[in-house]
Amino acid sequence: MGRRESKDKGFEAAASMLGPGVADGVGGWRDYGVDPSQFSGTLMRTCERLVKEGRFVPSNPIGILTTSYCELLQNKVPLLGSSTACIVVLDRTSHRLHTANLGDSGFLVVRGGEVVHRSDEQQHYFNTPFQLSIAPPEAEGVVLSDSPDAADSTSFDVQLGDIILTATDGLFDNMPDYMILQELKKLKNSNYESIQQTARSIAEQAHELAYDPNYMSPFAQFACDNGLNVRGGKPDDITVLLSIVAEYTD
Amino acid sequence: MMNSHRTIVSNSRTSPLNAEVVQYAKEVVDFSSHYGSENSMSYTMWNLAGVPNVFPSSGDFTQTAVFRTYGTWWDQCPSASLPFRRTPPNFQSQDYVELTFEQQVYPTAVHILETYHPGAVIRILACSANPYSPNPPAEVRWEILWSEKPTKVNASQARQFKPCVKQLNFPTNLIRLEVNSSLLDYYTELDAVVLHGTKDKPVLSLKTSIIDMNDLEGDDYEEKDGCGMDSLNKKFSSTALREGPNNGYFDRLPYELIQLILNHLTLPDLCRLAQTCKLLNQHCCDPLQYIHLNLQPYWAKLNDTSLEFLQARCTLVQWLNLSWTGNRGFISVSGFSRFLKVCGHELVRLELSCSHFLNETCLEVISEMCPNLQELNLSSCDKLPPPAFNHIAKLCSLKRLVLYRTKIEQTALLSILNFCSELQHLSLGSCVMIEDYDVIASMIGAKCKKLQTLDLWRCKNITENGIAELASGCLLLEELDLGWCPTLQSSTGCFARLARQLPNLQKLFLTANRSVCDTDVEELASNCIRLQQLDILGTRMVSPASLRKLLESCKDLSLLDVSFCSQIDNRAVLELNSSFPKVFIKKSFTQ
Repeated sequence: MGRRESKDKGFEAAASMLGPGVADGVGGWRDYGVDPSQFSGTLMRTCERLVKEGRFVPSNPIGILTTSYCELLQNKVPLLGSSTACIVVLDRTSHRLHTANLGDSGFLVVRGGEVVHRSDEQQHYFNTPFQLSIAPPEAEGVVLSDSPDAADSTSFDVQLGDIILTATDGLFDNMPDYMILQELKKLKNSNYESIQQTARSIAEQAHELAYDPNYMSPFAQFACDNGLNVRGGKPDDITVLLSIVAEYTD
Repeated sequence: MMNSHRTIVSNSRTSPLNAEVVQYAKEVVDFSSHYGSENSMSYTMWNLAGVPNVFPSSGDFTQTAVFRTYGTWWDQCPSASLPFRRTPPNFQSQDYVELTFEQQVYPTAVHILETYHPGAVIRILACSANPYSPNPPAEVRWEILWSEKPTKVNASQARQFKPCVKQLNFPTNLIRLEVNSSLLDYYTELDAVVLHGTKDKPVLSLKTSIIDMNDLEGDDYEEKDGCGMDSLNKKFSSTALREGPNNGYFDRLPYELIQLILNHLTLPDLCRLAQTCKLLNQHCCDPLQYIHLNLQPYWAKLNDTSLEFLQARCTLVQWLNLSWTGNRGFISVSGFSRFLKVCGHELVRLELSCSHFLNETCLEVISEMCPNLQELNLSSCDKLPPPAFNHIAKLCSLKRLVLYRTKIEQTALLSILNFCSELQHLSLGSCVMIEDYDVIASMIGAKCKKLQTLDLWRCKNITENGIAELASGCLLLEELDLGWCPTLQSSTGCFARLARQLPNLQKLFLTANRSVCDTDVEELASNCIRLQQLDILGTRMVSPASLRKLLESCKDLSLLDVSFCSQIDNRAVLELNSSFPKVFIKKSFTQ
């Protein structure tokens, strides 16, 4: 199940805006001798740099994606690859969360044990998510390449105690919401270690489920709904980023 | 917001009351050039502000500050311009960058974190003006904190450069670095600048004498530095001269011989010599001594008064260099205009790079007062408003025009191309306000038949159509910079056609064009045998075999940049170098 290999990268931005983001690199690039994590990794590191240096508008996370993507093209190194991207920016002053999602990575906002906001998957067709890409010149026009503007963008208020989970499709394809919520219920306080532990246990659980051939994963369910008679998890790279909206202390 | 400085209390050199403050730069406020794109974070000067991103790693990284040129390659290509006479030998600065810091301090140290090919910084200056003060400063002074001639650093690794800086008599939060990259093997890259200083004036020991601001204008300071403009201003107006019994042997020399001797003096020395006696005064004020007037070395002191004093002698000036001068209120629009009204009519060459005092009126004055102008350099005059460029079209004798990093717009440029049919050298590098470079290229091909060199560095939307019209119209082209023009695709055959149509090419930059392939290199090998400089950085599609063909065919090739070309590894470079030892094959790296 799941032909795509992938390499996920995430980032945590410091400075006054908290912005966890994930990018899921598409694996077919190995045929070109390209490390698929290079593109997604550089994309996220560039987003992080943009945020650190204040070169962004909190309410315009698509702008962060667009600028980052353009910066990749300014690199002397001939970067190749493609990646989904999901960026979440918390504006501390207005208590609003601004999101941009391109592809099938995504985010959840959990409040009082329930999902109150989530991203929509962007797929062109089955197993082909929207993706940013830089193609080699001979493959231009053949390689799927979506514009950063095609990203979905949402903005909404958040409250103290809200849990923001950003993850690559490796999580959502293997773990349904109720399981994720179960794990999140175990999160008792907002200190760094607890959050780290919870994120890790979610990722580990998803990883186990991915390799269970009999388990009816969300991915298998979706395939069945589309006429493919399959069972089991979907082996994939899994990245999970967890944050909690808490009081600001220096 | 980003914390750009932190305070450290140091017990060793300063008293507890005079804590040492250590700061990274807050902002980059001015610079003469950079490698990267405007509005980008990659290889641009703005990376010099803030904490280091790369140091102590070495390598060619995007997050550093990089100037546009290195080595002597730009002095060796067809677009190189001749040096001015009477340039003081110890003025060797080629580029500069100005940085501000949060707090004004008396500097105790300036550390520069260099991450690639270090050794370019040759001068550090400090300014008395506080750019963040709401009140305009009463007096703006620049003092040299450290200065040395260019020296070769035999490593490309990162280093923290800690030159010994002089003590300053005023607090500063505006530092200027001047660089000379001529000895470098590749682009230098700077990561950060750290300013150490004390908030209060340090107490000096008895051994060191009190350095008064006036003393810094004393003669021995000027001798070391060669920038004695202050004495120039003071002594220009002096007219009372003692008439001695004779002038020594000078009386016996023919007029022309004395003139020849005086040709070797620097400008301040020439002005000092004018004080000595009436005969030499006559010589030193002879307009024939001021045919070439290079005022760039004196940018730190040159002001309206200096221009006024020089006016009378400069009525025949043909080459005038005011690059870097006049900023922060030193030269006014009226001062410049007055000078040009008196001295402009013989002007053939005018250098105004980074002259931020310029406005539209100044350009209008130039167009009216300098009808014979053949060379105009407005490089990095990025504050010049677009309407100012409309006046350039009136200068119909223009042969060389540099508009690098200016905000010229399409209509003004088309107008210039239409009327300035004598153009031989044109630089449009990083002119971001041009909408459609194909239209520009087409116009150039149609109108500028004498064009020899063309800089289209980072001209974002030029396509094979523009290139085709350019190449078919400008058959004399010897130099073409198409670096970082991503919209050119080799599959259209544009590079192959270019090679066939421009056999005189000596310099071709196709930097970061990812589509350059073996066929293109082979076409260059077959058709452009006079090629001396080629940059094909960043393509995956060129193999060592086609490069070998190129090197065999182009006997004059001296620079070949194959950085980040994935098929050309270090071994391939070594093999090519052993067969072709005279070629400098550049292969940059990130890690």
